[in-house]
Amino acid sequence: MKKLLKYISPLAPDISGAVGVLYELGGLVVICDAGGCAGNVCGFDEPRWENFQRIKSRRSALFSAGLRDMDAILGRDDRLVQKLSNAAEQIKAEFAAVIGTPVPAVIATDYKALKRMSEKKASLPCITVDTTGTNLYDKGEEKAYLEIFRTFATEDFPTVKNKVGVIGATPLNISEISAENVIFKLKNQGFEPVCFGMGSGLDEVKKASECERILVISPSGIKAAQYLNERFGISFETGFPCIPEKVAAQACGIEHKNVLIVHQQFAANALRERLCGCNVQCASWFEMNPDNMRKGDFHIADEENFRERVSAGNYDVIIGDISLRRALSNYKGEFIDFPHFAVSGRLNT
Amino acid sequence: MSEAFYITAKNLAEKGYNGIPSELKSSEHLIYSSPATLAFNSPGAKGFGVKRAGLAVPNSVMLLVAPGCCGRNTALLNDLGYNERFFYLMLDDTDIVTGRHLTKIPKAVKELCGELDYTPSAVMICITCVDALLGTDMERVCRKCEETAGVPAVPCYMYALIREKRLPPMAAVRRAVYSLLKPQKRVSNECNIMGFFSPLDDGCEIYPLLKSAGIKQVRELSRCADFEEYSRLSRANFNLVLNAESRYAAQEMEKSLGIPSVELTRMYQLDKIGNQYRLLGQAIGVVFDDEEYRSAAEKAVRDFREKYGSLNFAVGENLNADSFELSLALLRYGFNVGEIYGTVTERNFIFVKKIAELSPDTKIFSNLSPTMLFYEDSGDIDAVIGSDAAYYHPNTAGVHFNEETQPFGYRGVVLLFEKLDKAILENTVI
Repeated sequence: MKKLLKYISPLAPDISGAVGVLYELGGLVVICDAGGCAGNVCGFDEPRWENFQRIKSRRSALFSAGLRDMDAILGRDDRLVQKLSNAAEQIKAEFAAVIGTPVPAVIATDYKALKRMSEKKASLPCITVDTTGTNLYDKGEEKAYLEIFRTFATEDFPTVKNKVGVIGATPLNISEISAENVIFKLKNQGFEPVCFGMGSGLDEVKKASECERILVISPSGIKAAQYLNERFGISFETGFPCIPEKVAAQACGIEHKNVLIVHQQFAANALRERLCGCNVQCASWFEMNPDNMRKGDFHIADEENFRERVSAGNYDVIIGDISLRRALSNYKGEFIDFPHFAVSGRLNT
Repeated sequence: MSEAFYITAKNLAEKGYNGIPSELKSSEHLIYSSPATLAFNSPGAKGFGVKRAGLAVPNSVMLLVAPGCCGRNTALLNDLGYNERFFYLMLDDTDIVTGRHLTKIPKAVKELCGELDYTPSAVMICITCVDALLGTDMERVCRKCEETAGVPAVPCYMYALIREKRLPPMAAVRRAVYSLLKPQKRVSNECNIMGFFSPLDDGCEIYPLLKSAGIKQVRELSRCADFEEYSRLSRANFNLVLNAESRYAAQEMEKSLGIPSVELTRMYQLDKIGNQYRLLGQAIGVVFDDEEYRSAAEKAVRDFREKYGSLNFAVGENLNADSFELSLALLRYGFNVGEIYGTVTERNFIFVKKIAELSPDTKIFSNLSPTMLFYEDSGDIDAVIGSDAAYYHPNTAGVHFNEETQPFGYRGVVLLFEKLDKAILENTVI
């Protein structure tokens, strides 16, 4: 049955994607839920939570709205706005953000009104991200990236030579808790990189127009890059500079095989380039940018579809998160683990 | 403001229950789910939430019917061996708008049962906030599932939206896990212990005390190895309810199975523990001789007090105790309690008032207040009790005291001080 997961656990939802983008930007972020969605994010999908909250200077002001049934039934947005306003008096934040969940989706919350009310009451710029919990993390990232650049990257700054802005660096995309690896790789190539939202704050978003170019490392960053291109004329390219060494080493040993790589599209594409003489197809559970797809690449619709495609593909090697192996009981080939936090909640080791 | 909000016990007691400041009322502020609080504020993330609790029925499996976000952290339970018992039917926007997912559920139950190499005792169908708002009649859907798949189906309501209502999710799931029991002839010398999803500590005096009262068989859901053993829970002469969240389940069992119940509360004040056993004895017509156990607990407290003096404790709420009752017990034993991180309720306000008399300057914080972002270790706490307290005081020795095996009664007191002794000796948190 479609949409029935019998072997794997649900993948990271759009809520987690949106929070991941905003996490380090110094905002007062409110997940518009009863508590469970915030628990999923804080307890599972945001690996920085457990580590960074212990360090005073790196704490993130991420909260649950604590909605209750009557708030939803009566549409008491004013109570949420009051809570947000009270928190804004207690916590110095550069902006406020309201992240949607299934509850506001079901009651059709008017996010525009919520944004206006919050800005007026809390005297803070406010963004809203209309995530629903039914979509996957990349959708939430895409919306959040677009919203923060549209809201804050509005001023034209002089271009800084060699400055590269990276969009898409989140733990869910790169399976790392910090952007050090991405920064290191790009610096070695002679660039001055900044990873928006990972190791940098809202100031860098505001100064995005300083970038000479943009590197998009996940399809979730494409729309934001297009915005920056249209707004400031900054060109962008796609890539993924942080393939884990262990995975790269294992992949380099594969020759003349029929290979399937399952990851977020740009990571999978980058690894494909490392394989010698192989017939490689890339697949993803998440959105794939048509411009970056090659013949044979495919989007995985659900678990049933994944099993069917693998069965039909006659692959010698599959490279993907090891948690997916459980869904492939009939697959007899080699499986190389390429952790993807958005799939299994595992970081690179 | 750049410091965590707190109120002293004296000031709080003076304000009275109706004057509790809004910073201590979770319904009046945003909720801070810090790493200290996840286990109880969002129990799906750690410990026993509805999903794990629903699988307390031996040999059952669970189908979570929800948007993907609701089941995401269930992967955490894989490490505990649950991955073969969870299945997910993912809802999309169209499902929610049209309600078409309700017709898919019986088919999904049939398909997953076909996938298993055994027949599950039941399929627990877990639904979430979405169906709460849609007003889904899951009882009806479950009946359809039974017809289609030939396996009992039981609804589990993971409705976080109603967590402070009359039947919050953790009380509802307790009812769900006992709902498969069928009436049978009751046996006069058998009883059940209800309240937890894991067993009481094997050394708890409640077992020998009940035995001394002629109870030959004490059953707990978490000790039922298979469905056959689970089915015997309905033979009990009475239920002993040790956690108020099981009260509703016990009332339902009285209605459907004719099993009455007696409720006890977990406490750490020795005189109160003794008093409860006395009342329990009256209820079942015996006099318990608890002297041996009481003496052991008194000795544990006395030895610890002599060894370490009047330590200054920080007491959290992520632990197997009521923060305020435990704090009061510590104060009555001659210790100090500098800080409490807890949720003040109507039920435990009585302890706040008594704490105010003994230790007016004790600071009371709310774990869930956004201002806890600014909490800083004052450095004057000697030992911590509770995982949240340990989080706030990372360099202080103490105990998490939130193990799955449940402490109760005199044995709970002994365990607490034994663990504290070990932790302080080793200067660590255990």
